Amino acid sequence: MINNKLPFKTPDHYFENFALQMDKKTAPPQTINFRRRKSWFYAAAVIAAVTVLGGARYYTTQKEDQKRYADNYESYVLSQVDESSMIDYYINNNN
Amino acid sequence: MSIESFRGKNKHAAFSQLVRLYQERLYWHIRKMVLNHDDANDLLQNTFMKAWNGIDNFRGESQLSTWLYKIATNETLTFLSSKRNNNTLPIDQMEGNMLQNLQADAFFDGDEAQLKLQKAILSLPEKQRLVFNMRFYEEMPYEQMSDILGTSVGALKASYHHAYKKIESSLMEDERNMLN
Repeated sequence: MINNKLPFKTPDHYFENFALQMDKKTAPPQTINFRRRKSWFYAAAVIAAVTVLGGARYYTTQKEDQKRYADNYESYVLSQVDESSMIDYYINNNN
Repeated sequence: MSIESFRGKNKHAAFSQLVRLYQERLYWHIRKMVLNHDDANDLLQNTFMKAWNGIDNFRGESQLSTWLYKIATNETLTFLSSKRNNNTLPIDQMEGNMLQNLQADAFFDGDEAQLKLQKAILSLPEKQRLVFNMRFYEEMPYEQMSDILGTSVGALKASYHHAYKKIESSLMEDERNMLN
């Protein structure tokens, strides 16, 4: 006598998991919440601006310092030489 | 469930409900044909993804259940045909392999008698196997089977009757051989 009981089984919780899997596969794509992201963008932009401006300021200051240092050094050197030595120097170099 | 449920922003929620409503029936419909759980799982996913992609164009010419069964049936038959072509085995040898794998399958829950029955069912041509499974295991009305398979009720009744006799004869032959 043939009976119609199926001789197959499934893994535990198969159908619950399958349905959840299909939910994920057919879920609509997530839209980015721009309102929340806006504040992060602003913060990132401010940090970037400060870095760039700060870097430019530092570079400029360095250059100014170098020039001031060079000027100071020249003044210093000149202050160590008396006038007659300077005159001799110019006369000798022009010849 | 009406077709309107699948229009607009409720589409996903409605489809989620549809999956939960039909997943078991479709799974067992497929599984009875392919025998193996992993194959049945893949085909079930394909079935529902095709349904998801096609539901916008579904106009309700048939019932939702009929439409889903058609997709599942086509997926299954295509799979079996492709498996046969890829293996380049004689027809009966593929079924032999399926039966051998079934014996070793962790998700086969049957005894020796059940194995013999599956062997007998596997000996049927695919379409006839489908008819037998739908009528014998699912007790599906012939009218519904006719809608799904696109075959007349008369032809289905004849097909089922022949399949039943063939299986009965095969099982009796097995029993005689055991006694001898």
